[in-house]
Amino acid sequence: MVTKNEFYAIFEMLFWPLVTLISVGLLGEFLYLSKNEIAFIIIGVIALSVVHIVQIDVTYVMLLDMWSMSLKYIIVSPMPFYRMVLGAWLFGAVRGVVSLSLLIILSSAIFNFSFELPFSSALIFAIGLFASAMLIGIFNCILILIFGRRAEIFAWTLTAIVMIFCGIYYPVTILPEPFRTFGLLIPITHFLEYFRSFYGFSPTLENPLVIGIGETVIYLLVLLITAELSMKRARKTGLVLKLSG
Amino acid sequence: MKAVECKNVWMIYRNFMEKSVTALRGVSLDIETGEIFGILGPNGAGKTTLISVLSTILIPTKGDVRILGMDAFKNTKKVRELINISSGVRLPWGMKVYECLRFYALCYGITDRSIIEKLIADFELEEYRNTRFDDLSAGNKQKLNLARAFLNSPEVVFLDEPTANLDPDIARKIREMILQIIDRNDTTVILTTHNMREAEMLCERIAFIRDGKIIAEGTAEELKKFIKANERIIVRFKEPVKSLPISVPYELNGNSAIFYVDNAEKATPKIVLELSNAGIEVESVKMEEITLEDVFIELSENY
Ligand SMILES: Nc1ncnc2c1ncn2[C@@H]1O[C@H](COP(=O)(O)OP(=O)(O)OP(=O)(O)O)[C@@H](O)[C@H]1O
Ligand SMILES: [Mg+2]
Repeated sequence: MVTKNEFYAIFEMLFWPLVTLISVGLLGEFLYLSKNEIAFIIIGVIALSVVHIVQIDVTYVMLLDMWSMSLKYIIVSPMPFYRMVLGAWLFGAVRGVVSLSLLIILSSAIFNFSFELPFSSALIFAIGLFASAMLIGIFNCILILIFGRRAEIFAWTLTAIVMIFCGIYYPVTILPEPFRTFGLLIPITHFLEYFRSFYGFSPTLENPLVIGIGETVIYLLVLLITAELSMKRARKTGLVLKLSG
Repeated sequence: MKAVECKNVWMIYRNFMEKSVTALRGVSLDIETGEIFGILGPNGAGKTTLISVLSTILIPTKGDVRILGMDAFKNTKKVRELINISSGVRLPWGMKVYECLRFYALCYGITDRSIIEKLIADFELEEYRNTRFDDLSAGNKQKLNLARAFLNSPEVVFLDEPTANLDPDIARKIREMILQIIDRNDTTVILTTHNMREAEMLCERIAFIRDGKIIAEGTAEELKKFIKANERIIVRFKEPVKSLPISVPYELNGNSAIFYVDNAEKATPKIVLELSNAGIEVESVKMEEITLEDVFIELSENY
């Protein structure tokens, strides 16, 4: 949120996505992948980077307060949790848009990746990614509210695990069961599928957009309710004070 | 209307993979609006726990809390709009003073920057408005946290050891700042402290808490009655003494004794005379008023 050191925020927003993009792009050239294959992977990299950035901002709702031992001052304010998440998410989305634009420009400059799909579809794709990132962020907040400091260890791991199964670098259909089903339960999978369909990849799934949005809405509701409940629980067990000074 | 009513509140901490801790054992309290109420008690007594429950941060295991007539756990949002708390100085370390106040103001839906400016002036933080929290001195960190606690002009404010770990002159300054603001807004204040003088100076009523129970409650004067005397006489003897032939309550300690009396000036000649009649030679005599500190020690040790 506003809390973050500007330099760090910009660094995070630009540096790592760039490094990933360039290394994956070069890897593709080295392996003599076809233009199409490179495009497939680059779309994945862009999505992953953007999701990561937005997700971090939502996670910071809890994480920063936990680190600075000031969680109770957020709790004692009348601001409901979902509003805080929304605020952080909007902030993250701004950073996400900057990062997304930069990555698209660069990938077309360096790897001749052409970004040609209807603006409305691109917008839907971006919103889908941002929404997915919000889900991950809220999930991380819940982990913190349940496990306190211990959550730090696996908060980031979870994002990585989700990423393995959502078909960033390959279609989920190549995954063996039960991972395939797991991949299909992740909204990002469907958003990626939707986006790739504009690049001539024959869809391996049906109605990716509808399923992606449907999943997102359901998960959002479930996660917000869970967050509310875990906040209550943390106030009952006293964990909230452990996360405060 | 009462600012705070709390009935038979129990708080049992239950942390994952740790033993549960019972921090409050049936606390009941009534605090009137406009009052400055002190909560005193030794370390680990449950002071922070109590004000965290009263300020809706914690949900008690058992018991009722009403703030300004509203159920704190049914009307939580409304209650939170009317209260605030400062407990421990820590705030997000990277935020600058102004940024920090602005951030928390937004949590209350306050966009009027003049409120922030006023608090910065009240707590004399102008010089530091662009200083990051981490780089502030302990006194200024505390001031910032107090300023934050007054952002929403709370009707009831909870202050947890507002002057702990500060130099005496800064502590006094901060007390004055708090008094000024609460006078202006007629705020009800519930404060915890270790500092007896602070409690005596600021608080109209005081509750003593120990092991999660309130063991005494009243004005400073009333609490002093726990020591069944107003004043004490400290007498030093030339040689150690084993027993004293005296009817006033006393504590004997080798070659000195403390006598508890209602009027030291009147009692002293009598005691000295009785002592010399018994052949005990007196070296010096000192008269002192009973302080809240005596009560604190007495209550902490014997109740
Ligand atoms: N979050 C927590 N989880 C478990 N136990 C806790 C927690 N917070 C406090 N305790 C325990 O509850 C008891 C009361 O603690 P509390 O902090 O309320 O005391 P206090 O009167 O504020 O003490 P101090 O004067 O040191 O600030 C102590 O035994 C403490 O160890
Ligand atoms: Mg305390």
